[in-house]
Amino acid sequence: MSVTTLGSAPAYAPGRSRPGGRAYWGALMLAPYLLVFLGLVLYPVAYGLYLGLDTQSYRKLFQDPIFYRTAVNTILFLTIAVNLKLAIALALSGFFVVDRAWVRVLLVLFILPWAVPSIPTILSFRVMLNPENGMINQQLFRLFGIFDGPPWLTDPRLAFASAIMVHIWKSLPFWTLILVTGRLAIAKDLYEAASVDGASRWQQFRHITWPSLANLYLTSTILSMIWTLGDFNSVYLLTGGGPADQTQVLATLGIRYMRNNSLDLGIASIIVAMPLVLPLVFVMVKRLSKGGEA
Amino acid sequence: MPTNAIRSIAFGFASAAGLVLAGPVAAQETLTVWFTKGFYKGEDDALLQMIDKFQKATGVKVDLSLYSTEDCVTKSVGAVEAGTPPDVGYCTTYDFRTTGQWAWEGKLEDVTDVIEPLKENFQPQALATTYLMHGKTGKKAYYAFPVEQQTMHITYWKDMLEEAGFKEGDIPATWDAYWDFWCDKVQGGLRAKGKRVFGIGHPLGVAASDTFYSFLTFANAYDVKIVDDRGRVILDQPANREAMIKAVKAYAAIFQRGCTPPSSVNWLDPDNNVNFHNRTTAMTHNATISIAAKHLDDMNNPALTAEQREQAKKNYYENIRTAYFPKKPDGGTLPNLAAVKTAVIFADAKNKKRAREFMAFMMKDENLKPFVEGSVGRWYPVTVSGAQSPFWTDGKDPHRAVVHKQFSDGTIPFPFVYNYKFTAVNAENVWAKAINRIIQDKVAPEQAVDEMIVRIKQIAG
Amino acid sequence: MIRRLDEAKLILIALPVMLWTLLPIYHLFVLSISPQDAVLAGDLWPARPTLQNFALVFGQKHYYLTNFWRQLANSFVIAVATGVLTLVVATCAAFAISRLRVRAGRTIMNMALATYLIPAAFLAIPMYKGMGNYGLLNTRTALVLAMIALASPYAIWVLKQASDKLPRELDEAAMMDGATPLQLFRLVYLPLMKPSLVAIGIYALLLAWNEYLYAFLLLSSEREVPLAVGLGLFLGADDAPWNLLMATGLIYAVPPAAIYYVFRKHMVSGITAGAVKS
Repeated sequence: MSVTTLGSAPAYAPGRSRPGGRAYWGALMLAPYLLVFLGLVLYPVAYGLYLGLDTQSYRKLFQDPIFYRTAVNTILFLTIAVNLKLAIALALSGFFVVDRAWVRVLLVLFILPWAVPSIPTILSFRVMLNPENGMINQQLFRLFGIFDGPPWLTDPRLAFASAIMVHIWKSLPFWTLILVTGRLAIAKDLYEAASVDGASRWQQFRHITWPSLANLYLTSTILSMIWTLGDFNSVYLLTGGGPADQTQVLATLGIRYMRNNSLDLGIASIIVAMPLVLPLVFVMVKRLSKGGEA
Repeated sequence: MPTNAIRSIAFGFASAAGLVLAGPVAAQETLTVWFTKGFYKGEDDALLQMIDKFQKATGVKVDLSLYSTEDCVTKSVGAVEAGTPPDVGYCTTYDFRTTGQWAWEGKLEDVTDVIEPLKENFQPQALATTYLMHGKTGKKAYYAFPVEQQTMHITYWKDMLEEAGFKEGDIPATWDAYWDFWCDKVQGGLRAKGKRVFGIGHPLGVAASDTFYSFLTFANAYDVKIVDDRGRVILDQPANREAMIKAVKAYAAIFQRGCTPPSSVNWLDPDNNVNFHNRTTAMTHNATISIAAKHLDDMNNPALTAEQREQAKKNYYENIRTAYFPKKPDGGTLPNLAAVKTAVIFADAKNKKRAREFMAFMMKDENLKPFVEGSVGRWYPVTVSGAQSPFWTDGKDPHRAVVHKQFSDGTIPFPFVYNYKFTAVNAENVWAKAINRIIQDKVAPEQAVDEMIVRIKQIAG
Repeated sequence: MIRRLDEAKLILIALPVMLWTLLPIYHLFVLSISPQDAVLAGDLWPARPTLQNFALVFGQKHYYLTNFWRQLANSFVIAVATGVLTLVVATCAAFAISRLRVRAGRTIMNMALATYLIPAAFLAIPMYKGMGNYGLLNTRTALVLAMIALASPYAIWVLKQASDKLPRELDEAAMMDGATPLQLFRLVYLPLMKPSLVAIGIYALLLAWNEYLYAFLLLSSEREVPLAVGLGLFLGADDAPWNLLMATGLIYAVPPAAIYYVFRKHMVSGITAGAVKS
């Protein structure tokens, strides 16, 4: 929406690396980050790639039936969680921009899942969803006499759905907030003019809201895909990958291999996932580094 | 204002950095030791006392880390891979999952020199499990210390049994009748009273060593031979395959009949205990008497109220029973499947000299006995003298008496003792996978077993 | 338009949304005030609510809580150190890239962005190996360094965006007066950037406070780990002390939630600015 001053003149005349000069200070002030980058990102990644050269690991990886299951799960998790979450966020953002005092209070409460650390809340889900002694199924038994409540965490499909649900619970506030901010940036008079012309709410959404939000929505989708790909907590803390390793995703697979005394497979599984990750990262870097233009 | 900001940032920076970096400055010699955290305070107290004694005797500072059962082995594997293991490691699932493989890969220190003078002290079958093959040299040596051991027991609530309308004398001694009794009669009796309970706590989780322990006990009941004495996989021989199909069917049936809580497919090692303590299950099979032992620990726990201690005492002496497994389906006696817990010194350890001293110190009777007995019966000794201790032999304790009798009857080892690659088979829990194929994916037991055999041959063939 | 929406319809939306949002948090709270024997009862409200769990936690009177205060302090030290150091690293870098316009600034920015975008869980095992090679495993320094590496790319990006918006004339005027780049940084840049700096400092601090995976991997000893990992230990217990787990979890969750609400305005503008703007 805003255009930054990318073309404006540099603040200083181009300087050589003389002490006290611009380039000198520039290099000096970049040094800490460069050190962090080289030592803590580049070196470990290069080392990981080097360890990943062992072709034995890939043979073993592709023999492991759980690896296929995990690959399918990861794709499903991405597709379902990201789209569902953003669709709900888009709808809810329409609710939270309503100009009422009590809606603003609700927004403050609504943010809680995002503001609170995931470990206690996901563990709370885990205890709550326990099929025998969790609060949900106990209440189903007491209130409705349902002896065997839904097997939330013990049926592979339902457990996987529960993990997606927890993931959405945790990250929905953030994306709703983003889209609320996006909606608030749309000029009010557009809506006023439209309602004078007798446009229905759907027409307003179709012709005013959506065109203004579409780009933001797309950026959010890509960003959310990348983050969802790296969501370790929702699966690990809720199901631990169970039952029978049927709910593992790529983010948790490394720990499984570590536990099984085969860390080389953990590294191999990450390298195998790169064709999925890198294009997303590439697209996103391009979008973000454009730096201003909407 | 800006200078203030800088000052406050600089201060924050300095104090934060100071706090972070102030840790490892001391120059004292240290020994890094990783152990599994005990289930009860008593276990850890005995360990801390021993460490305290060692520190006083040598002046070496012992840097002890305690982990939950699962984390302990995960962290150790990671540390070994990263080349930064502790000096001494003792996790209670090393033996199932890693010891044999580490020895083969040269990740462990040869400790024959420490074991040799103590050899007579150990029970031979326990010591034998630490005599392991090194893959590169092709020679066997002692690469681990036996510390304590375990075998399978049945634990049940006597009062729940009575509530269901039965007496202890009603419990059948034959295999099928035994499981039917808990499944149908006891569970049925309790359900008839409106209780939301299950007859059996039956571990099925992939991430639990309880599952493969229980399952391999079932496999023994059906006389399945998985490996021969030279470590070759013989599970694919028709007789063994047939027997394995029966074992898998029997193990899965308890879940399929709804006699174990649905969440047992997710259980970790403590969860059958959790469900038993909570009286969600009337009976469970467990590879130690840790369930009963918790109540013994509670009845002496000063942090609890007097009533709570009294209840724990009643539970331990009256309500909870430790018992033997029934006879095998063919009427024979089920052998006791024992696992010897192993402590190791890592090849990449920084302080091997002190690690040897520490282990030699720990192996001394006066140190090992209190440590083992500190677990109030959860672990059985691996030394001859430990097993002769009145703690086990005086017969005053109803639970330990059963354990002692089982070990005195003799035990048999796990397949990984013959073929170290079975540690990987266990780590992946091929057994639980097969059961889950049947109960979740509804495949035929024959197919599940065939898949199991293929995978075992991939890993260990 | 939206104003004319029925109040009833709004409430119809609000109810399920709030139930969904608050149920797990409510459940957490209920367990934290339940006595041990009611932990698995599944009650909507405990028959005998108690604060004893909190007393046990604060008094370190349970076997899984023997290092509670120590772990809380670890969490605090790690979070503050990460927040402060990330700020230092990122502010300097953003200043160099945006105001001093160093050569290759754009490339470095892109590298940082790529780091930010690769899921942290995928970097965990290489990072673990790297820390092993540096001999830093099992030290809190390792965790702080890892968290800086994870937090600073996004921090640099947000700060660069913010500083691109400062008018160039300021720099020029300062230079006319003979200010050195360092003086410009201290006297002009830092004061103007204050709101973004607060947001980013808090972002890094919360990131470190909430981290589980890296803390679990990089640290070992019960005395070194932050509270997040200490909470995980409870899962190994055989008597389901979920009430103590949740009481501890509640204590652990309060500081970040409080910080978040106190600095809400900063956070929302700072954190969402990046995503919304571009």
